[in-house]
Amino acid sequence: MQPILTLSGVTKTYASGHQALKSVDLSINKGEIFALLGPNGAGKTTMIGIVCGLVVPSSGTITFDGHDVARDFREARRRIGLVPQELSTDMFEKVISTVRFSRGLFGRRRDDALVEQVLKDLSLWDKRDAKIMELSGGMKRRVLIAKALAHEPDLLFLDEPTAGVDVELRRDMWKLVHRLREAGTTIILTTHYIEEAEEMADRVGVINRGELLLVEEKTALMKKLGKREMDISLVEPMSVVPPELAEWDLTLADEGHKLRYVFDAQAERTGIPSLLRKVSELGIQFKDLDTSKSSLEDIFVDLVHRPEQAA
Amino acid sequence: MNLPGVWAIYRFEMTRFGRTFWGSIVTPVITTALYFIVFGGAIGSRIQEVDGVPYGAFIVPGLVMLSLLTQSLMNASFGIYMPRFAGTIYEVLSAPVAATELILGYVGAAATKSMLIGAIILGTSAFFVDLKIEHPVMMVAFLILTSVAFSLFGFIVGLWAKGFEQLSLVPSLIVTPLTFLGGAFYSIDMLPAPWRTVSLFNPVVYLVSGFRWSFFGRGDVDVAVSLGATLGFLVICTGIVAWMLKTGYRLKA
Repeated sequence: MQPILTLSGVTKTYASGHQALKSVDLSINKGEIFALLGPNGAGKTTMIGIVCGLVVPSSGTITFDGHDVARDFREARRRIGLVPQELSTDMFEKVISTVRFSRGLFGRRRDDALVEQVLKDLSLWDKRDAKIMELSGGMKRRVLIAKALAHEPDLLFLDEPTAGVDVELRRDMWKLVHRLREAGTTIILTTHYIEEAEEMADRVGVINRGELLLVEEKTALMKKLGKREMDISLVEPMSVVPPELAEWDLTLADEGHKLRYVFDAQAERTGIPSLLRKVSELGIQFKDLDTSKSSLEDIFVDLVHRPEQAA
Repeated sequence: MNLPGVWAIYRFEMTRFGRTFWGSIVTPVITTALYFIVFGGAIGSRIQEVDGVPYGAFIVPGLVMLSLLTQSLMNASFGIYMPRFAGTIYEVLSAPVAATELILGYVGAAATKSMLIGAIILGTSAFFVDLKIEHPVMMVAFLILTSVAFSLFGFIVGLWAKGFEQLSLVPSLIVTPLTFLGGAFYSIDMLPAPWRTVSLFNPVVYLVSGFRWSFFGRGDVDVAVSLGATLGFLVICTGIVAWMLKTGYRLKA
């Protein structure tokens, strides 16, 4: 697939000496939804800032559709939209004027029909003449998205788009992202909510302490790193796992009412049949079996904490 | 050239001024009227003439300059400081807007507003004194050059300021005193010898003097020197702004 955005060897060390990015290489495909996952301070916002011209990189190059974003900044920025994490708005402006302003700022001629469509898509049309300061936090978030879409960008950055918004708006946002993707827009989003990445992304990148730990197709990632859990609900609670079951590395859950077995769904031998045989041999009575897939969240926590454990 | 971008910024700034339109218009009119009552009426009745010009008329150029400098400085510094403070600057920085376009939008709007106010003060003065302008073209040229130069200076202050205190520090602690001591209400020839020389180090003297020359055909210093000083200040400010925007000074991390 054709990349629309390429970062090569991008680093950033702030004046304070804090190294926010350690040589990031990343290629974003045209038309995909890419989710950047990472804890606070991982370098997500710095990375977006560098692409959008808010942060000066310490080294490295960034190419947008063949244009160097520093040298050929006009061509690149004309086609990139940014929805920032902070709700930074012009409090005294009207919704519709602030969206028109954004379109003009990005060098586009006034187009009332388009602005109307964008506002309607975000359920802001009824609020078009309201001052931004009168809007709720969720509505302000919508205004920021409308501003970013006003110049019809080919690449859209959504920095924590659903931080602090209610469930309804989050669902709306997901729909919007899917609509944009259908229209051919490439989307890069950062998020804390793993379910968001799971729901929307084609590919996932995990970043921690300024390093991209991995970039993978979401489905492949979940398959590769996906673990399954099996809970055995016991009739009689236990205080310790019987030593005969040591080879399965079981844990007790639910105050001893459950035996939990974590296994690799991809492995040829899951160890389930032998475990169950052993359990009945030992005369342990159980009333239920329950297996579940681990979520992206578990994978993520696992990845982010692994280096700490090693150190 | 991203003309829609320049226009968007310019319009945004003019709308911001428009929200305080009546305050912006009424304040200079009242202030000017007060100056005329105090300086023109009360003091002027004792001073009579300066350099052959009635005192009431003599203070007009200085009055216009005083407002022009303060307004340019405050409008331009607020114009760029507010987006920095509110965080909305992210959008301007991420837009395909070059440094020159940024300056045209922000500084252009601030200079436009101060020129409008300058014109209003001139108009108000005409009600109080007999105004004749000997060199109208030069008068307009000084008006434009000064507005632009001090709007650029304000832009620098707005980029530099780390808080509202610093933002108001420059106009109140530097520009207003320099204007009052810059011959706005008197000719520096009226000062005792050492102070006259000291005054020549005050850049505002050259602005007021040149502006006054365009009204009455004479000033404290030669008009060419005034024009040179004004242009020099303009060039210095442009250079500093260009450097600030190129390096992203206090705009980009």
